[in-house]
Amino acid sequence: MLENLFTNIAGSLRNLLDSAGVPPLWNDVTLLVVKLVAILVFILLNAIWLVYMERKVAGYMQARIGPNRVGPKGLLQTICDIGKLISKEIPINQGADKVLFLLAPVLVFVPPLMIFAAIPFGDGMVALDLNIGLFYVFALASLSTVIFWMGGWGSNNKYSLLGAMRVVAQMVSYELPMILSILGVIMLVGSMNLSEIISAQQNMWFIVTQPVAFLIFFIAAVAECNRTPFDLVEGESEIVNGPYTEYGGMGFAMFFLAEYASIMIISAMATILFLGGWLAPFGMTFIPSWLWFFLKMYVLIFVVMWFRWTYPRIRVDQLMGFGWKVLVPLSLANIFVTGIGMYIYRAIGW
Amino acid sequence: MFGKGLIKGLAITWKEFRSKKFTVQYPEQQHPKPERFHGRFKLDVDSCIACNLCANACPNNVIKISSEKVEKKKFLTKYIMNIEYCLFCGMCVEACNKGALKFTTDHDLTQYHYDAIPLVLVEREAPKPEPKPEEEASEEKGGKNAKAAAGKKGKNKEETPAASADKSATEEVGAGKAPEKEGQ
Repeated sequence: MLENLFTNIAGSLRNLLDSAGVPPLWNDVTLLVVKLVAILVFILLNAIWLVYMERKVAGYMQARIGPNRVGPKGLLQTICDIGKLISKEIPINQGADKVLFLLAPVLVFVPPLMIFAAIPFGDGMVALDLNIGLFYVFALASLSTVIFWMGGWGSNNKYSLLGAMRVVAQMVSYELPMILSILGVIMLVGSMNLSEIISAQQNMWFIVTQPVAFLIFFIAAVAECNRTPFDLVEGESEIVNGPYTEYGGMGFAMFFLAEYASIMIISAMATILFLGGWLAPFGMTFIPSWLWFFLKMYVLIFVVMWFRWTYPRIRVDQLMGFGWKVLVPLSLANIFVTGIGMYIYRAIGW
Repeated sequence: MFGKGLIKGLAITWKEFRSKKFTVQYPEQQHPKPERFHGRFKLDVDSCIACNLCANACPNNVIKISSEKVEKKKFLTKYIMNIEYCLFCGMCVEACNKGALKFTTDHDLTQYHYDAIPLVLVEREAPKPEPKPEEEASEEKGGKNAKAAAGKKGKNKEETPAASADKSATEEVGAGKAPEKEGQ
């Protein structure tokens, strides 16, 4: 029953609309809107929870206990913080490009929301089952580069501009190994449909067959969402706060929450591509598929946070060197080895 | 091997993640304070002889003492510390040869209003002189008489403290310790 909880809710809503005499087209549209709103709420609630979780993890890794005053166990801390940030003025500095400056924090949430529409959360739980799902996800993920650049450029501040330049440089150079590492998976599955990629991992997760690809993907993904050790973008000792320097109040909060939304995306994508998505390991199907997806995603999110509170920030030249001299050749080699392996397997006739 | 340090770092933070936390939840829990902690002052009023040694020992002129002469003894009427100037050096506590002035471990001396800052350790009226046996007898006769007598006594009393206060004030002025007759 729990397994099909959300699909049943969607089905009963469809039946209800049918019995109310709604034409099929409007029925589909309503259902899609409901699904997208559900995803929106899901992302925002998760982003709020992740800010809290990040602070708790940080505290625990420093022998502290983190936020614990507002609400039970400090659970309402983030909500209070956001309430405070909403009530604040949004200062616009002199010479700023007002349109770009104000548009950037609004738009920064668009790519994550659009990406989540195509992510399968569980068995049959996908709002838009695209047959080029993977392509769609990564095409949109790289769009956020432009939004950071908008914010950095619009601020009319040297630190913002430098930070935005770093965002662009970093995202462009880490996009490459990330996409190349996925190619191995696409070669094995022969499809870019996310649901098909998951069902291809029925017998064996791709982390076993493509361990190098997983490592490359995860490192590049951490760099993609500008997290430590690749958070040069907001290196406060060098460029204050990067593209967010001039943002205050809710503008800042939007960027902050979008960061957590992008962590969710990369964790969800790593889960789908390498950890079998919503498939239950060892036949433990008594836990519903969407919960499995959620658990795997949260383990990866925790690992990203764990990285943040362990590693120091690397230098710009190290970042670029690592991306272009290590990750790109390694991912190319991985594609090559995967191809040879597939050829040998086919020759043996498995 | 490349990446060994990375794994080691992760292992350290993981160990720390699961370790016992050191945070003390402050208002509810507090660290135990040592006995000799310099906190709020405490005055044992009964053993204080208003000798002014503490006031003289104070480097910041924090302590203001006023006393009245009751019969042959000095009687402490006011002991006020302008605690905003106190540096908690403990000279006054050291100077007290009766062991009347002590530190407590209470550190919470903050106040909302400026007027509330001075630490008032004693503020009281001097007792009326012991009634003579005849007066006691008259008191037993009727309430009115007794009240009248009390009023009379009060007047008597008022004269003495003023005189003594003036005297002590002039003494202090002479010693260069009290430029104005503050709190008298």
